[in-house]
Amino acid sequence: MQKHRGFETAASVLRPTTPMDIGQQAQRQRILDAMIESCAEKTFTATTITDVVARARISRTTFYKHFEDKRACFDAALIYCVETLHETAGSAHDPDDSPADATRGATTAVVEALAQRPGLAQLLSGDAIAVEPRVIEQFRKATIPALEALWSSNGDQVETYTDPRLAFGQAQVLILNQIATGEAKQLPDLLPELVYLAVCPFGGHEAALEQSRLARKDGVSSPAR
Amino acid sequence: MNEGPEDLRQWRLPRGRHGLPRELVERSQRERLLAAVVRVTVANGYEKTTVGDILGEAGVGRESFYELFDDKLDCMLAAHKVLVDSLVERVREGYLTEGPWPQRVKNALEMTLEWLASDPDVPRFLLIEMSTIGPPFRPIFQAEYARFVELFDEGRDASAPAPELSRASNLAVGAAWAKIYEEVLRGRVGELPSLLPEITYGLLVPFLGEAEARAVASAA
Repeated sequence: MQKHRGFETAASVLRPTTPMDIGQQAQRQRILDAMIESCAEKTFTATTITDVVARARISRTTFYKHFEDKRACFDAALIYCVETLHETAGSAHDPDDSPADATRGATTAVVEALAQRPGLAQLLSGDAIAVEPRVIEQFRKATIPALEALWSSNGDQVETYTDPRLAFGQAQVLILNQIATGEAKQLPDLLPELVYLAVCPFGGHEAALEQSRLARKDGVSSPAR
Repeated sequence: MNEGPEDLRQWRLPRGRHGLPRELVERSQRERLLAAVVRVTVANGYEKTTVGDILGEAGVGRESFYELFDDKLDCMLAAHKVLVDSLVERVREGYLTEGPWPQRVKNALEMTLEWLASDPDVPRFLLIEMSTIGPPFRPIFQAEYARFVELFDEGRDASAPAPELSRASNLAVGAAWAKIYEEVLRGRVGELPSLLPEITYGLLVPFLGEAEARAVASAA
């Protein structure tokens, strides 16, 4: 049921309500997806605009309407990946979860999202490092405070047991290594370690081990992937 | 690019007859080319580097280059192998010795950091330029990482606590890797040795917990 139809004029009845740029948005997204998948398959260095255009099933002209060059498209794809993962993490836990449980929930959700779309993981842990290390810095700068916020009840700075920046780097190396084996779908196998890394800086070694055990149990009890 | 005492062309053999055996001539050329590819790719980036740049830096002719290597990547991979082999040797020396395990971990780390800090081009080459070579990088990264994990496990004896996490050795190698990578990226290669306590601590926590790891990290 539509609301507020009362003040319509003849002109406004016929005015389209779907967003004007819906087509362009869809095209842009197809290009980004194509870039991500191509980088996952053959790395950024080896990817050409021809590859992206063919995968996205758009014309070269359309590509250049959206992006100046391959690099600009890659940067946009990275931003898209980072945003997607942050949304995933943000919606993965209940407000009444303990900080440690919430951290485990968010980590699990992100890792599962990465396993669903290995291209994202590849881009963030492999190509981004080589092509645009600053994006990783941005990603880290956004991730650590988000985790920290789970542990802070009133926005105060949280005391840390280990360096969260180091933990982030370790997680990245672990994921990169898993992807290099060509087994990106098996990323959830790393959950005990990744949950440990996410919890340890803020909750300490013992709390991290406890969450790691829970993550292992979750992994065993969840249906086969 | 490099004039003065570090000019690789100083190692060039004299023109004309010198009567040196072929193996020796090739070895001299190969050594200069490997040193040159590291310098040139770090200075210009892998993609922009040409074989001509490497030849100019090394003082080696094009024909000799192609007798030794298929192309620029082949030369780069050869340099990578020589360097990683040397680093592994260095780590073994510090690690596979007598003494309590946590201390041997720290010794190995110290040697690694000093080895890397001795030539700023080398860590940049190994960690950053190598990652821009495209598809061949993935298997190389994986093999190199596996090599260090294996070495780490090789040195775990009865004095090493059994960690609860099944991939604790992976985490340990990752701790050193990630921290070193970050410093190299920021251009702080010279300061790598000063990170010893920090990396030791981060690396050992999954094995020893915070208190014991801190004791080892902060001991002189």
